[in-house]
Amino acid sequence: MGVGPLSRVTPQAITQEDVVITHEDVDRAHDRLRVSAARAQRGVFSRFRLLWLLVGPGILVMLGENDGPSMLSYAATGARFGIGFFIPFVVLTFCMAVVVQEMTMRLGSATHRGHAELIFDRFGPFWGWFSMIDLGVGNFLTLITEFIAIRAGLGFFGVPPWAAVVSALAFLCLAVITHRYWTWERTLLAIAVFNLVFVPVALLAHPDWHSVGRALLTWKPLPGLSKDTLIIVLADIGATVTPWMLFFQQSATVDKGLTKKDIHLGRIDTVVGAALAATAAVATILATAPLFARHMTAENFQAAEFAQALRPLIGRFGAALFALGIVEAGMVASVTISISSAYAFGEVARRPHSLNLPMAEGRVFYSVLFLCAVTAGAIVLIPGLPLIYVVLLVNVVAVLAMPPALVFLFMLANDREVMGDLVSPTWANILTTGVVVFLALAGILFGISVIAPSIFAFLGGK
Amino acid sequence: MPSKDKNHSLISFADQELVLESLERDQLAGLKKPLIPRRRLKGLEKFVLWSLRIYLIFMMAVVVYQVWIGTH
Repeated sequence: MGVGPLSRVTPQAITQEDVVITHEDVDRAHDRLRVSAARAQRGVFSRFRLLWLLVGPGILVMLGENDGPSMLSYAATGARFGIGFFIPFVVLTFCMAVVVQEMTMRLGSATHRGHAELIFDRFGPFWGWFSMIDLGVGNFLTLITEFIAIRAGLGFFGVPPWAAVVSALAFLCLAVITHRYWTWERTLLAIAVFNLVFVPVALLAHPDWHSVGRALLTWKPLPGLSKDTLIIVLADIGATVTPWMLFFQQSATVDKGLTKKDIHLGRIDTVVGAALAATAAVATILATAPLFARHMTAENFQAAEFAQALRPLIGRFGAALFALGIVEAGMVASVTISISSAYAFGEVARRPHSLNLPMAEGRVFYSVLFLCAVTAGAIVLIPGLPLIYVVLLVNVVAVLAMPPALVFLFMLANDREVMGDLVSPTWANILTTGVVVFLALAGILFGISVIAPSIFAFLGGK
Repeated sequence: MPSKDKNHSLISFADQELVLESLERDQLAGLKKPLIPRRRLKGLEKFVLWSLRIYLIFMMAVVVYQVWIGTH
């Protein structure tokens, strides 16, 4: 007898005596009924309807990762290096993100379990809580940066900081108030697509398309090897591949109710999300590249400062779009990251965790979600805190935390007891190994540049 | 006959039927409680995991150092 996914569960029919059925199950069943109906029909329209019903976690995780600090990292990249090496490099990082995120989608569809839950169950409470704390700290720092970005973006329009934070918290409340995964997902998708506002901003900057094409084909001009370059490289990797994405997409896949039959369309969802996010990221680099051409020092700019600096080049409308894009990026990410923390905590603490939960049944889930967001928002309002260091380092921290998270993912995706016949194919394992080694090397180089700059200089750095 | 979930709010018979027909067995929230058996880690796996944790702690110290020199 072959080993099937979660073989501890016997394949007997479910009877009403077996289990207590909850509202969460009922909502998910209604969603699955629509999927089954679309799948049963033939024709191109039905195929598109099925795709429409199943997309969500992949697009949200990719556009969610194009968050406030990520967009500022891309903006800083464009302003510091112009059009060149970093254009294809950013596209490459999104290709790496697809390789990694596909595994989480496959794990979620095959096991119906979240990432934190699987680590906890398969590797024990020590590793489970360790991963949870890794995630919690990283998410909290990132959430602070989202509120910084929202504050800075709305600051361009003269909105005071307290009003910006309250607006972001109100948006978070509105996003989850329906207690329905489907409504939350569709609402957030509609807003997340606004991330592409950076495309018209890039067009207003009139990039040299010949240089863009040459950069994509040749990866040139190359930046010199220096600590600043390395930090930008790490920040751009951290802007694309981070631990919260693993936890979020797997949990969202489970909450949405995807099954093994949906894996193919789940892959399309992930690739479409990566394509949209890569487009927005490259557009942001192109939008700020004119600052490089005019030799403006902009690496420590925040959203409002970028928008102000770009104003003479792309006009008031373009600058306003840029600031709005940063606000949108921060708001969408503040929702996805808070939810990622709440999902993971619920999974590890064995408490109900779903966006389909009514408030009465999901008090812990919603409390964690709001507590994280409110605390991060409050910190941003404390005067005199060196917030710029949080912004600069959060993506770097994410890169450093990524290799261990990837190793757990790699082991789970190859765990035949958990995945059955859906274990990763050899080509995926080769790619994942390459990604882990690449990220670990980037982290080690960063460490050397900090603690032993003389060695780094010997290696060719400045 | 309608059943009640943990919070005693009624779920109709039709909805119960729908749940049982539409969801896979281990998709049900109430069936997520049983643990997946713990994996027995082999020597190499233990080595890799501990190496990565040491790497992470070392790198976190590097980041803290970076923040410290940045703020001073």
